[in-house]
Amino acid sequence: MEHKLNEVMKSAAAAVALSACASLAQSEGLPAKPAGFGDRPLTMIVPFGPGGGSDQLARAMAKAMEEEAGLAFQVVNKPGGGGTAAIPDFMLAPADGYTVLEHIDNAVSAYANGDIRENPAVDWVPLCMTQITFSQIYIRADEDRFTDWAAFVEFAKANPGEVTMANLGRVGSMELVVMHQLSEALGLDVKQIAFDKPAERYGALIGGHVDVLFEQPGDVRSFLDAGQMKPILTFLNDRPDAFAGVPTHRESGADFEALTRFRGFYVKSGVPEDRVEYLAAACAAGFENAEYAEFNRKKYMHLIDSYRDIEGSIELINGAVETYRAMYEQLGI
Amino acid sequence: MNLFGDWHALLIFTMGLLGGMIFGATPGVNMLTLGAVVLPFTVTMLPEHAIMLFSVIYCAGVFGGAITAILFNIPGAPENAPTCFDGYPMTLRGESGKAIGAAVSCSAIGGLASVILMMSATGAIAGWAIRAFGPQEIFALIFFGLAVSASIGARTLWKGWLSVMAGLLIATIGTDPVGGIPRFNEGSLLGLSFHSYYLSAGIHFIPIILGFFAVSEVFAQAMNIAIGTRERPQAGLEFPSAAEFWRVRWTMLRSVAIGFFAGILPGIGATLAAFLGYSQAQRWSRNRKNFGKGEIEGVVASETANNAATGAAMIPLLALGLPGGALTAMMMGIFQIHGMEPGPLIFINSGDLVWVTFAAMFWANLLIIFLGWLQTKTVVHLLRIPFRWLAPGILMLAIVGAYALRNLFIDVWVMFIAGIAGYLLRRTGYSAAGVVLGLILGKLGESAFTKSMQLMDYSFLGFFERPVAAALILLGFAAIGLSIAGEFRRRDEQRALLD
Repeated sequence: MEHKLNEVMKSAAAAVALSACASLAQSEGLPAKPAGFGDRPLTMIVPFGPGGGSDQLARAMAKAMEEEAGLAFQVVNKPGGGGTAAIPDFMLAPADGYTVLEHIDNAVSAYANGDIRENPAVDWVPLCMTQITFSQIYIRADEDRFTDWAAFVEFAKANPGEVTMANLGRVGSMELVVMHQLSEALGLDVKQIAFDKPAERYGALIGGHVDVLFEQPGDVRSFLDAGQMKPILTFLNDRPDAFAGVPTHRESGADFEALTRFRGFYVKSGVPEDRVEYLAAACAAGFENAEYAEFNRKKYMHLIDSYRDIEGSIELINGAVETYRAMYEQLGI
Repeated sequence: MNLFGDWHALLIFTMGLLGGMIFGATPGVNMLTLGAVVLPFTVTMLPEHAIMLFSVIYCAGVFGGAITAILFNIPGAPENAPTCFDGYPMTLRGESGKAIGAAVSCSAIGGLASVILMMSATGAIAGWAIRAFGPQEIFALIFFGLAVSASIGARTLWKGWLSVMAGLLIATIGTDPVGGIPRFNEGSLLGLSFHSYYLSAGIHFIPIILGFFAVSEVFAQAMNIAIGTRERPQAGLEFPSAAEFWRVRWTMLRSVAIGFFAGILPGIGATLAAFLGYSQAQRWSRNRKNFGKGEIEGVVASETANNAATGAAMIPLLALGLPGGALTAMMMGIFQIHGMEPGPLIFINSGDLVWVTFAAMFWANLLIIFLGWLQTKTVVHLLRIPFRWLAPGILMLAIVGAYALRNLFIDVWVMFIAGIAGYLLRRTGYSAAGVVLGLILGKLGESAFTKSMQLMDYSFLGFFERPVAAALILLGFAAIGLSIAGEFRRRDEQRALLD
């Protein structure tokens, strides 16, 4: 009996040692966990509903960071107001690094036009961006009035103000700013139809209620794979491999740096330096996690560099704020 | 396809069925609460198990909401609200078993009918719906729905319309659907200026429902106890007879058709289906005068329609990748978490999973009949619990349910304010259900209206260039005209009686 117990104890000790080794191996490259941090689960606030793009990203990244850094996360959705309703709860939480906010570039444009007061690059610390993507213009695959970008431009110029585009039309949104820049450059007059729910736009295009759609490839992948939609223009300086047959806006004669869509993770400013560093390193490790990489690949996030560290994120945000402000002045917003 | 091949699947199925029913049938929380709680756990499940679980919760939850509507006058979800109108009076008459029996059987029949229709033609129906129904038609349908259902649950037509209008007004709080401009989120009141990000999130219908029905019901019962007029409803165990079902066969068929049709249009869903089903049953019934006083046909109409709609709501989700409501949006997330995109390709890439959904919903609906029969013998005994014990439980669960919705504290405040407002509404003959209908359809309607206006260059006449939209709008106006004429006739009759 005693012998058996001994054996059990031994194997238990071995298991503990093994798991200690494993966790050591996992945290290779991570700075030491700040004393007293991460012993209880962290809260990750998602300002959009369960099941959506942001929610999927937050859960995938939470899982990756759990595996890589041994942190535990509780994902909490606080949807409403286009991502603004979650902000007060985030701002009320103590600046101890235990509350992480997932947010998208909407927060930046909302700050630029005064809808929110918090500057995402100053009042918050961006730990990392882990999804950065470009936009495209899509048509129905069986559209016969125009089948490529050149034909579309010709059609749109012959019918000024008649061609309809489905958009997420928040005043000053990335979509509207980019389309304004394109229309200015090419002399296009496209009627923008503002939708409030992202998925409704896909039905509107496929059902023939609008003519074209502005969207990111990862969000309409199923429709592309099913051969129901096809891209006719890419908003990027060079053609990505996956869309080698689609011209870019630069090629079409528009000379501007197109805004990107980006999703990342924030803590409040004022969180102790060592905790910020640790969380940023955990995020970087999570981004390299094989399962997370696969998740990003499925969303077409591997076509351009989808990762930014703290400095890179601040640069990205400040650049976007500058572009938005300049465009708002021009648009009179 | 091997739905019940292993004990694991069977266990998840059973848990989903019981969980959906319990959450649906508990005043205060609902299947959305359960969905949000179990969502994180589905990540590690097999995809077919995760999808089955949500399909089952979905079916069972809508049915469960009818039970509290009937026993306590507290609908579990907005689509159960019309069930209160006749279900609760039946309970007061001691016919709770009959009402629940009718609700159960009709839920299952509505659900089964829509699952069978769904199995036969998901792709074709979804393709047709998406082409035939643009924003203009959706708006026209919502207008028609409001026009025919506005007076439901109110003492007079005018009070019904005022209730709906109040709901429409509340729907405008929050971010506008076109420009994303926040409305009513800052301003000054009595010299104090305020600014609230919470208000830019808008007023959600769930806390309003909890307030109007659960909280105000507690107030109303407490008041009755205080002044000594409360009659304790008797638990009835009788199940409706076959003859009673046969009598309402046309109502059932009509509600299946209405529910199925409303369900396949993304975003319209079960609430409009239930109200339309009820109002049409009232319109065509021989027992029109008994509606609202405990007519079993009313329970049948609303429960058949809302369950038919929930089944049909899977069609746009699966075939087009367009979720119509909160729970279908969560299901969409589950598909995506497991690497599948709902949409036309799903039948090719993950055809077996689609059949898991169909089969799970089919069996869930079938089992609901059996479980429901058991429930008519068991849950009605809840009525025997003294109200002073029940009330704190209801209030506590309502608070949890309101907060759990979006994890925003504003929803708890909204619930209590709605509770007080709901109590006053009831006493004055206005319709709490009408306010909720206005709130839900106001949001959907505004969204469809603004898109229509942009597409039609802001010309109202554009609606009349599209035959379906034109017909629905004209029918809506006709319904308003008829109901006004009917109201005057009713008033004259009452006067004649008094003379």
